Amino acid sequence: MLGRVFGVLCIISVICAAVTGKISELGVGVAKGASGAVTVSLGLLGAMALWNGIIRVLEAAGATKALAAIASPVLRLVFPDAYRKKHGIAEITAAVTANMLGLGNAATPLSIAAMKALAENGGEEFAKTGRATDEMVTFAVLSTASLDLIPTTLLALRTAAGSAAPDEILVPVWICSGLCAAFAIFISRAPAILEKQIQKIKRATDGKISGKTIAAAASAGAMPDNSSNGKKITQRKRLSSPGIPAREEKTAAAQPERGATP
Amino acid sequence: MNFATGAIVPLVLASVGALMLFSRREKSQLYFDAFVSGAKYGIETAVKLLPTLVALLCAVSMFNASGAAELLAKLLSPVLGALGIPTELATLLLVRPVSGSASSALAAELFSRISPDSYAGRCASVILGSSDTAIYIVAVYFSAVGVKKARHTLPAALTVMLVCAVLACAIVRLLM
Repeated sequence: MLGRVFGVLCIISVICAAVTGKISELGVGVAKGASGAVTVSLGLLGAMALWNGIIRVLEAAGATKALAAIASPVLRLVFPDAYRKKHGIAEITAAVTANMLGLGNAATPLSIAAMKALAENGGEEFAKTGRATDEMVTFAVLSTASLDLIPTTLLALRTAAGSAAPDEILVPVWICSGLCAAFAIFISRAPAILEKQIQKIKRATDGKISGKTIAAAASAGAMPDNSSNGKKITQRKRLSSPGIPAREEKTAAAQPERGATP
Repeated sequence: MNFATGAIVPLVLASVGALMLFSRREKSQLYFDAFVSGAKYGIETAVKLLPTLVALLCAVSMFNASGAAELLAKLLSPVLGALGIPTELATLLLVRPVSGSASSALAAELFSRISPDSYAGRCASVILGSSDTAIYIVAVYFSAVGVKKARHTLPAALTVMLVCAVLACAIVRLLM
């Protein structure tokens, strides 16, 4: 990937410089880049050492466990299938907390382990088709927006560039990351939700003829107080339409399981 | 608003210090050893980054000197302007989803031209801190488990990246 980025940048610059007649300035740019890299790297040394040191101390003091305790209840909601199948939540939590602490080297293998667990949850269907499950998509998209509590390289870059307050961006980064993570979960699930809605509408239009009589009967009974009975009608309607009872059984079956685990 | 500027670092250091002071001797030594090994890792990372940075910074400097970056900024300025993103960040936004070290190189180059404390510098910082290399992550995670149909993963990840950039600039405008 890096080779491609390097190639694209170089070739576009040469073409662009040839067109605009700036080819002589390119050499200066290259020389500046090479020496600049050394300056930046040296500037990074101190800050990178400090921040990575602090992260290791926090890790040794149990920050990973503390973060996991906060993150895992949320992750259970985001990955209900993994939670129901009791397979994958531990891996996902480990990957997310490693990402939060910016443990780059540890985070990638942990994330792949989490993805493997989710793939196993996909069962035979995934093995046969190789089609990513909803939760696999969510995990991948969420990883691209993962919260980094101490963005070491960024802090080091700002320090090296002589920022008056390298750490002033921390709170904005946390806010932005949090919002992005929420959006990532939403957008990765949006197609699945949309599909469900479309199916619901389809079912409603299919069941119009049979549903009409039930609705008419229900509304006749609901006339005196429609604010509280309105809900009942929809409930009755739902129970009567095909397909839905199966889902309700499923959630009912999942309930005791949830209660059973501490 | 001022986010306790300059206080976060000393506070974190003080809490690490308290951790070392108020724990048993063996534990305290363990914490300090952890710091040293972490610092070593940090230096290794910075040194390991140097060769990559040389290549990428040369390419990035050339890209800027040729006027290509300016052209790109001009081309994207209607879109970026509407979204409230400074045009200086055009190249950074395009490279960010592809490569982490290339975006670090771009940020380093950007910070050498404009102050990291300026509006664009802050926007670049928040974008860099709250986004990740989307395309790389999706490719690595999915190829590791043999996904053949990624479905809407990549478009979704890139949308998140764009929303992240817009949000980052809005947060900088509103809060800093």
